[in-house]
Amino acid sequence: MTVLLAVVLATPVAAHHVGTYVPRDNAISANFKQIKFAVQARKFDVALRLFERGDLRTEMRARAARLPAGLEAATRAALERDDAADAEGHLMLFFSALARDLARDAERQLAEAATPRAARLAIGQRFLEAIWRYYNLIDFAVSTRDSKTSVAMRLAFDEAETYAKTPAAPGAAPTVDPDKLRGAFRRMAQILSDLIAASSTSARRDS
Amino acid sequence: MTPEPAWRLPPRWVLLVAVVLIGFAEVGGASMARFKVELTRWARDAMLARPEVHGLVGVRDVDERVLDEALVKFDAGLRLFHMHAEGMGLVIVATTTVAATLGGAGRGLMVALLTAGGAGYPLGYLLWSGLIPYYGVEPGKRMAEWLVWIPFGGATILALWWLAGLVALRMARR
Repeated sequence: MTVLLAVVLATPVAAHHVGTYVPRDNAISANFKQIKFAVQARKFDVALRLFERGDLRTEMRARAARLPAGLEAATRAALERDDAADAEGHLMLFFSALARDLARDAERQLAEAATPRAARLAIGQRFLEAIWRYYNLIDFAVSTRDSKTSVAMRLAFDEAETYAKTPAAPGAAPTVDPDKLRGAFRRMAQILSDLIAASSTSARRDS
Repeated sequence: MTPEPAWRLPPRWVLLVAVVLIGFAEVGGASMARFKVELTRWARDAMLARPEVHGLVGVRDVDERVLDEALVKFDAGLRLFHMHAEGMGLVIVATTTVAATLGGAGRGLMVALLTAGGAGYPLGYLLWSGLIPYYGVEPGKRMAEWLVWIPFGGATILALWWLAGLVALRMARR
């Protein structure tokens, strides 16, 4: 009887169909995809125009202080000389920096001991989704340049996801320690920082 | 050979409820189009004023998606109200006509259940939309479920099966 009552009480919200939400691209990721497809089609003039007028460049300028020096100019120059690989590399650096900043923010917010454990894990889950939305755009570019970094990043992400998604018993507090999740975010930030440092150095050496 | 019974109209108040419901559906649909920007702005502001309810963390790349999902659901609630109110208005007219014609002794109760259930159920979507900015998507949905969808939807389902059973019984007796 108790089980039946629990099923009846639990079912309506799960069963009531009110549509499904499909996450959309934000202005930056949408602009990135436009540029990427134009570059893949070897339409560099189109890619350059999309870059110059798009939100990605605006964001690059806004975050210039936290990005490798001259990233915007280097991306523009790569598009002007029809260099797909170089342009992809610079865009990879930009999204790595976005994901790294998110990982650092996540680590900082998860350190708030006053926040309840469940809320910290929920915050972590949201940051993970945001990080993945950006990292997912460049994972292929990362793996072709530095497969170890790509694997390390995926492992750190899987680990964080395991911590964030471990279900708690109904009505009970989560058993996962948010500090473990925090550690995974710290690793992600470090991996991406190393990738940015290494890629920036090699880009300077090549130029 | 007994002649086929003529169709009987449900009480006029039932027809009034159905027509008013369809009227609300049309007003809702028109308002959604006319005040789309204002409604979205209001919902967004109300959500931003309650960061803890929506789990906002103060980082644009994270919060953007949370707000977008809530706004999509807010809009979906309004659309579902518009569609269900239109549809249920017609369902009320159709089912209460059958109930008035073949309902037998319990006809009054059956008509009342079909009318109240059919008119109340779509309002759940409107309520859900209104609750989203203040309580979040899932808590708002749970409230709408228990306050509106289950009681009014349940009344409609109960009355419809009652009516279906009655029609089947009439056919079997013939």
